[in-house]
Amino acid sequence: MALGERKRKKAKFTPPKLMLTSMMDMFTIILIFLLFSFSSDPESMKTMKDLELPVSSTQVDYADSIKIVLSSEDLKLNGDTLASLEKEKIIGVDPENLKDSSLFRKLKKLYDEQAASEESDKKERHVLFMCDKHHSFKTINTVIKTAGLAGFPNFQFAVLEGRSE
Amino acid sequence: MARIGRLRRISEEDTDLNMVPIMNLFMVLIPFLLMSASFMHIKAINTSIPVHSASALNEEETVPEAKVTVILSLYDNRIELSTLCETLPPEALTRFKTTVKKTQEAKATEKALMAALRKIKMEYPASDTMLLVPDAPILYDEIIQTMDVARNMEEEALFPNVVLAGSLG
Repeated sequence: MALGERKRKKAKFTPPKLMLTSMMDMFTIILIFLLFSFSSDPESMKTMKDLELPVSSTQVDYADSIKIVLSSEDLKLNGDTLASLEKEKIIGVDPENLKDSSLFRKLKKLYDEQAASEESDKKERHVLFMCDKHHSFKTINTVIKTAGLAGFPNFQFAVLEGRSE
Repeated sequence: MARIGRLRRISEEDTDLNMVPIMNLFMVLIPFLLMSASFMHIKAINTSIPVHSASALNEEETVPEAKVTVILSLYDNRIELSTLCETLPPEALTRFKTTVKKTQEAKATEKALMAALRKIKMEYPASDTMLLVPDAPILYDEIIQTMDVARNMEEEALFPNVVLAGSLG
């Protein structure tokens, strides 16, 4: 009898409550920070491993345009690989005969397409050039000269935002 | 009296907000935002390459204020500065011819280059164009750093229009 009474008096088990308030605070801060650093720029998300952009103090935003990427491995035009690089030399692009390269032909085709579609906006045409910072001017010059010959003399050099040391 | 006390106790009882759905939402949102967050922002430097244009020369002639074009040749060990102007006599421009020796300290070279560029800008404030002629082995990073120096000095614009050209020969 006495035992039964003791059993009845035992407190009912209640599961411990989790203190979620502090966790909520932390998550709210993280969420706000991430929402602010969220970027809708497509290029910001697709930086490649073999492409190290230089740092610059410029504040100009890039415009969506034809994109040439000269990474340490290859040359790309709008995402399509056109040539590979070997010892600072673009395979398939002869600096003496730039018009006989796939880069020139593709750029010329794009130029013709743009010229046919928008007559008035000719001066606004430019190329977004993303280049690895370790390339020499000799290599870069081959690409920008080809673009110039194809009708794109204006460039936007893509850089990383920040104070250059 | 006891009934009133019991009613008050019921109404004052703490009500716990169910945080679990909010937490679930956070757990979904945070990984998504982490994946699409960009901690490196890409910006652009506007530049161009020289193009043959007859009309551009005619436009320059009608400008009342003299505008000089700075030619900055970038070599391995030095930076050469000179100026070019259609409307000014060559004697007026020879004094701007300078050579800045590159030192181990990049900041010192930058300062010397800035001083030389500022001197030209002070004389011809309407000038805004610089022709950058790097030597073949100069790295792209160095070209960008030189463009940065030439474009701005603190908050003041120096030569924002940079034309990139290859040297002849």
